[in-house]
Amino acid sequence: MAKQFIKGNEAVVKGAILAGCQAYYGYPITPASEIAEAAAYYLPLLGRTFLQAESEIGAINMVYGAASAGIRVMTASSSPGISLKQEGISYAAGAELSCVVVDITRGGPGLGNIAPEQSDYNQMVKGGGHGNYKLIVLAPNCAQEMCDLTMHAFDLADRYRTPVVVMADGFVGQMMEPVEFPAPVVDLPPKPWATAGTPETYKNLITSIDLEPDDLERHINHLYAKYAEIEANEVRYEEYMVDDADLVCIGFGVVSRILQSGIERVRAEGKKVGLLRPITLWPFPEKRLARLADEGKKLLVMEMNKGMMVDDVRLAVQHRVPVGFYGRVGGNVPSGREVYDQIMLHLEAV
Amino acid sequence: MNASMYKSAVKPTWCPGCGDFGVLAGITQALAEMGWEPENVVAVSGIGCSSRFPFFLSTYGFHSIHGRAVPVAIGMRIARPDLKVVVFGGDGDGFAIGGGHFLHGARRNVDVTYVIMDNHIYGLTKGQTSPTSDLKFKTKSTPYGSVEPPINPVQIAICSGATYVARGFAGDPKGLKDLFVRGMRHKGFALIDVLSPCVTYNRVDTFKSFKERIAAIPADHDRADLSAALTLATDPERFFTGVLFEIQRPVFEDRVEALKGYSDRSWIEVVEDVFDSMS
Ligand SMILES: Cc1ncc(C[n+]2csc(CCOP(=O)(O)OP(=O)(O)O)c2C)c(N)n1
Ligand code: SF4
Repeated sequence: MAKQFIKGNEAVVKGAILAGCQAYYGYPITPASEIAEAAAYYLPLLGRTFLQAESEIGAINMVYGAASAGIRVMTASSSPGISLKQEGISYAAGAELSCVVVDITRGGPGLGNIAPEQSDYNQMVKGGGHGNYKLIVLAPNCAQEMCDLTMHAFDLADRYRTPVVVMADGFVGQMMEPVEFPAPVVDLPPKPWATAGTPETYKNLITSIDLEPDDLERHINHLYAKYAEIEANEVRYEEYMVDDADLVCIGFGVVSRILQSGIERVRAEGKKVGLLRPITLWPFPEKRLARLADEGKKLLVMEMNKGMMVDDVRLAVQHRVPVGFYGRVGGNVPSGREVYDQIMLHLEAV
Repeated sequence: MNASMYKSAVKPTWCPGCGDFGVLAGITQALAEMGWEPENVVAVSGIGCSSRFPFFLSTYGFHSIHGRAVPVAIGMRIARPDLKVVVFGGDGDGFAIGGGHFLHGARRNVDVTYVIMDNHIYGLTKGQTSPTSDLKFKTKSTPYGSVEPPINPVQIAICSGATYVARGFAGDPKGLKDLFVRGMRHKGFALIDVLSPCVTYNRVDTFKSFKERIAAIPADHDRADLSAALTLATDPERFFTGVLFEIQRPVFEDRVEALKGYSDRSWIEVVEDVFDSMS
C-alpha cells in the first residue's frame, strides 16, 4: 500500500480497517468527527458497518453489544462525549469485553472549547467510570502512530479481553502527515466466550454482576491479576538523548514533539537535556522513571493541562529528584520559545 | 414592551441567512406581546447552533449540556415555579441525544415552551445526519444516503403527552410569533417545531423546498381531537403549519406541589414528625 498524506483522525480509521474492525458506532463531535465521517465512508465499502448513534451513550452500548458477539468494534469521540461513555466503559471492563475507544481530546471542563487540551488524562488513565478497573491507554504523537497504535489497541483488547483507549489531543488528530500502512491483520484470535452462535457456546453469559461479595472480590482480583500482567508486558515509551542528560523532559502527544525540537535547540548550545515520551499512559513507564531518579536526573513534565501525568511521575520517583511542571490550558499549545525558556529555567536550578 | 428590549448586545453568530434568525425575530416579538419582564424569563438550551439562543436574549440564560435541556428546564421549574422557562434547541439535541428526556418532559406535562429549530441536519458539528433527516439523505456521516427513516417531532410530541403542539416555519416570523405567544400562554408542555433551514450544510431542505410543502391547517380542524391532529401531523406530502393539538391537563409542577402536605407547617416540624415516626 502506498504512503498517504492524511489527517491523524483518518489514520485511526485506516488502522482500524487494517486491524479487522467490523463495526463503528459514533456520535458527531468536534474535533473527532472526521473519524466517524471516514468510518462512514470506508466501512460500508468493505462490507462492514457504520452507524451514527443517537448519543454517545447509545454508541458505547452498541459497542458493548457488538463486542459481546466477538467482533472487533470501536467508537470514537472527544472529551464531553467520553464523559458520557464512561458508564459503558466500566461495564465493558467488568464484563471483560474487547473494544477500542478513541478519544480526541479538547478543552474543558464543561463544553470548554474545541481546541486541543490533554485534560482527559485523569478521566482515561485513572478511570472516569465507577468500580475497580483499569484501561490500557495509548498516546500517539503523529499520524503514523494514530494508525499503528489503533491497530495495536485492537490486539491488546483481544489479548487481555479489555477496553483499550487511544487518546490523542485534537492537534494530533487534525495534523496531516504521511502514513505508511502496515500489513492487514488476517488471523484474528478465537473468542470462545462470545455469543458465537454455536452449540458449544450457547450457554455463554456476558455480565458484570456478582451479587455475592466473595464472588465479586474474586472477579476483581482476577481483573487485577490481568492488569499486573499488562503492567509487566505492555509498557511502551520512547527516549531521546536521555543517557547523559542532567534534565529529562517528559511529555506525551503533541507536547513531546515540541519538547523534542526545544531539546535539539538547547543541545546545540551544549546543554544536556533529554526526552522521555510515555506511549502507554497506563501501564505507565514508572520503572524507567525510577531508574532515572536513581541516576539523579532532574525531571520536567510538560502537559496541556493543569498537571495530571505529573502526579504519576512524582509517584514513580517518590520525590527523590526534583520534578518541575509546566502546563498550558484552554487549547493553547506551548510554543517553542516557552519550551526553551522552561528548559533553561529548570536547568539553571540544577 | 418592545421586541428589541429582549435582544442582548451579543450579535448572533449564526451564518447569514440561517433560519434561526427568523425564530429570534418571532421570539422577541412574542416576549414583547406577552409583556413578560426579562427578569422573569429563563432561556434554557442544550448545545448546537440553535442552542446558542440564550446568548442572544437579554433574559436569564442557561446554555446547558447537549441533549439535556429538558431535564435542566424541569429542575429550573421545580426550583422556581414563578419563572417562565423557554427551551431552545435543535432536532439533534432534542430528538437524538435528548430523545429519551423529551418523552418524559412531555408526559409529565412540565409547564415550559419548547422551541425546536428543525433543520434536518447537525449544524454545529458541520453537517451530519439528524433524526429528522430524510431517508437516503446524503451527509458527511451518511455518504451513501441515510438508511434510517426520520422521526416526526410533532407526532412524537402529541403521542408522548405534550398538551400544545404546533409546527411553524422560519420564513414566516409573524406566524411564528403567534404560535409562540399561544404556546407561552398555554399552561403545560408546549412544543413548537420550527422548520428552520441550515443554509450552510443542508442544500436539500431549504427555504424554498420547505415553502413548497407548507400548508395551512384547515380552519375547521378540532385541536382537541388527537386523531385529527395526528392525521395532519403525519401527512406524507405536506407540512401543516399552525396549532395541531391543544388540550388542558394538570401540569407536573402542580402535581409536585400537591404532594407537599406540609406546606402550611414549617419543614422543621415535618422533619421532627418523620424522625419520630422512625424511632
Ligand atoms: C456529549 C456531546 N456530544 C456531542 C457534542 C457535539 N455536538 C454539538 S451540537 C451537536 C448537534 C447539532 O445539531 P442540532 O442539535 O440539530 O442543532 P443545530 O446545530 O443544527 O442547530 C453535536 C453532535 C457535544 N457538544 N456534546
Ligand atoms: S451552520 Fe447551519 S444551523 Fe448553524 S448557523 Fe450556519 S446555517 Fe445556521
